[in-house]
Formats: sequence, C-alpha cells, structure tokens
Amino acid sequence: MDKNSVKTLCDLIAKSAECYGDKTYLKEKRGNDIIEKTFNQLYHDCMCMNSFISSRAEGKTVHAAVLGATCYTYLVSYFGTVFGGNTIVPLDAQLSPADMCELINRADVEIFFYHPRLEAALPQIKEMCPKIHTFVSLGESESYFSVEKITEEYAPAAPKEVSPETMAAILYTSGTTGKSKGVMLSHANLIDNTMCCDNESTPEDVTLTVLPIHHVYCFTCDILLSLRYGSTICVNDSILRIAQNLKLFQPTIMLLVPMIAETIYKQIKAAAAAKPEIPMAAIAKAVFGGRLKGIYSGGAYLSPDLANAYRSMGIPMSQGYGMTECSPRISCSLFTEENVGDVGKIVNGCEVKIVDGEIWAKSPSVMMGYYKDPVSTAETLTEDGWLRTGDLGYVDEQNRVFITGRKKNLIILSNGENVSPEELENKFMDIDMVAEVLVYSEDSVITAEIFPNPEVCKDMDKAEIARLLNEHIKKINSSQPSAKTIRRLRVRDVEFDKTTSKKIKRQQTSKGELV
Amino acid sequence: MFEQLKELICNYVDVNEEDISLESRFIEDLGFNSYDFMSMLGELEETLGVTVEEQDVLEIHTVGDAVSYLEKLTK
Repeated sequence: MDKNSVKTLCDLIAKSAECYGDKTYLKEKRGNDIIEKTFNQLYHDCMCMNSFISSRAEGKTVHAAVLGATCYTYLVSYFGTVFGGNTIVPLDAQLSPADMCELINRADVEIFFYHPRLEAALPQIKEMCPKIHTFVSLGESESYFSVEKITEEYAPAAPKEVSPETMAAILYTSGTTGKSKGVMLSHANLIDNTMCCDNESTPEDVTLTVLPIHHVYCFTCDILLSLRYGSTICVNDSILRIAQNLKLFQPTIMLLVPMIAETIYKQIKAAAAAKPEIPMAAIAKAVFGGRLKGIYSGGAYLSPDLANAYRSMGIPMSQGYGMTECSPRISCSLFTEENVGDVGKIVNGCEVKIVDGEIWAKSPSVMMGYYKDPVSTAETLTEDGWLRTGDLGYVDEQNRVFITGRKKNLIILSNGENVSPEELENKFMDIDMVAEVLVYSEDSVITAEIFPNPEVCKDMDKAEIARLLNEHIKKINSSQPSAKTIRRLRVRDVEFDKTTSKKIKRQQTSKGELV
Repeated sequence: MFEQLKELICNYVDVNEEDISLESRFIEDLGFNSYDFMSMLGELEETLGVTVEEQDVLEIHTVGDAVSYLEKLTK
C-alpha cells in the first residue's frame, strides 16, 4: 500500500479493499462456525453504515458511542461512523452503567452501538442520556436496529470528502490518577501512527486480537495495521479462550500486555517441568499454535528478563511505548532488536526531547486536545504542539527511549530529592515472592507496600515473609543512592485496587501492616 | 465436581490438593492472577462441554462459588 496516498481512515479502508480485495480481513467464531469477512466486504458494509448514519443525522455530523467486544459489527460501526465525518466514542465494556452514561453525556453522543446484553437496560439508558436518538445492536435485535440488518437494507454510500483534521474519535483514558479525560484524535493522528513504523508484517500474517478494542493500542496496532499490511485478524471471543484460540487460528504475530505474556510463560515452564525431555522452545511453539514469529508488547512495563526468556524460546518480543494522547506510539522496537530495558526507538516523524527529566513528544500523531476540557489540554499540550507525556526518562545515542517513572507519581522528599516510585517498583519485578508492590512516601519516608505472592509464601508465617522481604529490600537499597533507599515496609494480605485495565490505582488507602 | 476442580487447580498453581477447600479464594489464597483464572475456566469449558459467560466469572471468588456455578451449567 502506498502510504502517501492514505490521509484518512476512509482512505485506509478504501485502499485496503483496492490492494487486498477478496482476501480475508477478519475471522470470528459465531456459534460453532467461523465466519470470514474480506477487505471488500468491510468497505462495502462501512459504506452501508455511512448511508444509515447520514439518514439519522439529518444533515449534520454526530457523535456515536460504541460499546462491546471486538467483532466484525463493531468495526463496521466504527468505520461506518467516521466515513461521514462523524465522531466515534469507543467505551470500555466494563464500565458501570452510571459511569457509562456519564461519559455518553459528556461526549454529546446521539447514536449508541450497544452490546446485546445491554438491550434490557436501554429504556433506563435513554432516560439518563436524553440526547441519544438511535440505538443499534452489535448483535441481533427484534426491537432496535442491528448492524447486520443495516448492511443488508441500506444502499452503500461512498465516504464523503473528510478532511484529515476532522475529529475521528474521542477516547476516554482510564487513568491511574484522577477523572478520565476525552482524548480527541483526528483521522490524521490515527493514520500517522499507523504509518509511523515499518514493521515486519505481510499479507500472509495472521494476528489473534486479544486486547480490549477501546484502547488505542489495540485499535491502531491490531486493527489499523492489519488494514495497512493486508494481514488477517482473528478475533479472540473471550479472555477465557486464548489457549483454545491460539491452537484454532495459529497466529503468526500477536499483540500482548506483559501480564498475559507472563502467565503463558508460566504455563510453558510448568509444561516443560512435567516433560523435561521436550525442549521448552518446542512446547512454546505448540502453545502458540505452531506459527508464531513474535510478540508485540505494550501497555505496561516489560521486564527484560521476560523478553529474554521468550527470545531464548525462539519468540522475539518487541516493546513499544506510547499513550492514548499520541495515538499511541512514540517508540517501538523490531523483533530483530534485543531488549536492553528500553521501550524501542523513536518512531518516524516523531520528535522527542527531555524537559526537566520529562519526555516530551511532538508528531502528527499528537491529539487535538481533550474534549471540552481546555484546562487539561493546556496542561498537557504546549502552545507549539509538544505533548508533555508525564513520563520520566531519557533517550540514548541510538534513539532508544528508556522510561524511569511517572512525573505525577514522583516522590518529593522533604530534603528536596525527587524519587520515581516506578523505578523502585520495577526492581521487585523479578522477585517471585512479590505479587504486587506500590512505592510511595509516607511521612517523608520511602515506603514499599507489598502484596506477597500467596502461592510462593503459602508455607511462611508473617514474620518469615517480613524477614525475607526485608532482605530483598536491603539488596535493592545497596544499589541505590541513600536518598532513594526504601526505609519502611508494609505487607498487605489483599490485592491492590486496580483500574479496569488492571493497573494498580496509586491513590488508595494503605491496607498494609507495618513490619 | 470439587474433586475434578481441585486436580485442575494444581495444574495452574503450586498448591497441594489437601490445602484446597470450598472456602479457598482463587486469588488471595491460591495465588491465581486474573488471567490464570480465566485460562483455567477456559480449559474447564472444553472438558465439560459447557459455555462460561465472562460476566458470570466476576461473581466467582471461591472454589465453592466455582463448583456451584459449574454444577448449574452441567445440569
């Protein structure tokens, strides 16, 4: 695909149909069958959806929300909406009804593409969100519109001339601190990020998409990159069934977060221990379906140990870094590049500079701003277009980015020293007996609060756990300047509260016992 | 069902069968993470020939919860 000819999401879909036509774009399970959709079908069905939305929008552009798991009808809703210059608002399927309605109202949504399980609640949703005039089911519906019926009944209407600067999506960040903000991304933002890095994909590649689609990492790197390269997306129908679906679809590439990669690695290790005569690489190959070339990791810190463990089994892991506000990629690495604790090289077209230790990025991928939130926008974007990422780090002479922590989480001790809690937390990553850790300042003392791994610590009493943890801390402290040493330990017997994307919430009351 | 589940739990986490009771909590007591837990339920789906709904899984905290849920599905 000629990347210079693609300026909008509409161009991307049209070009993918032109380049890859009747090749399979997507496979998904429906009952006992697997349905397949081609690049041509996707283009056609999005045009039908465009026609439907135009008929409901009465000559103006509208905002449409979509809530559900990855599926073909989700993509038709998404792209069909933006074909007419309208804006899509992808919502987290795990939101509570009250939070969902609050975001719908905040984003001025008029059309709602909903997961069928919400159908019974639509009258209440309508009451709480009076601006919504059209409900469309992503599945089947007797009482409301459905995507499938729309694509059968409406004549296709070619996408209208959409300016690349048009707002394509409002994405709500889940955020580990504060209220979620609506990130406005234009067509140009999403297309730039789709084209900013030439990776190893080809039309022969098959990806199993397992991450939540409302996150821009999944959307850009699974959905949009497959359109660019002509590769096939297979939909993982549930997080319950990754193991089954790996065998069924036999992907060649996968996008994962470290937690899933780590669990699969544990299972491979356990299988290898049970059958020592079989090499681990052979077990790993079988677990991933037999054809996997490599894994793209993002969303959280990937420990070099895990990356190297995969590499030694013949599965390279590439690491990326970014944020929703940058559509999302700022840096990424290739499978051929060794992980040395970096998060990849700065992508094409992106400039990075370090200001007071904080990473600032400037690129055509940087968001338009936060929806109806000029104060937060001004705090995050400079007047000349730099995005303050809030991450602390540095760039080496090979253009590789290294992250050391979050600016907002920075601990400022009474002596004026700044300490990054993540930098210290990462040092616990490879300690088996630590399941979760949060580092913070308590009475100006650096404190580590730890939820011990119940499996590893099952035969230990509290005193023994505290003794061993203190030994680990002593070891960590020995490699730290004195201002950055952990002086207090709290041990908790319950997990930390998490965001819906499974990140530990930083602002929570301590439940750890001082030891 | 309890016996079958105990055996499977031991394939996922390093615990002894005799330490597993109906009151054991998957995450806090047995050391599962959320993805281990989902994977195990996925395996049970295959062996028992049932369909587990993701929404229902949110209500399962203890081994006893899982046993009664799975027994309902297989009836």
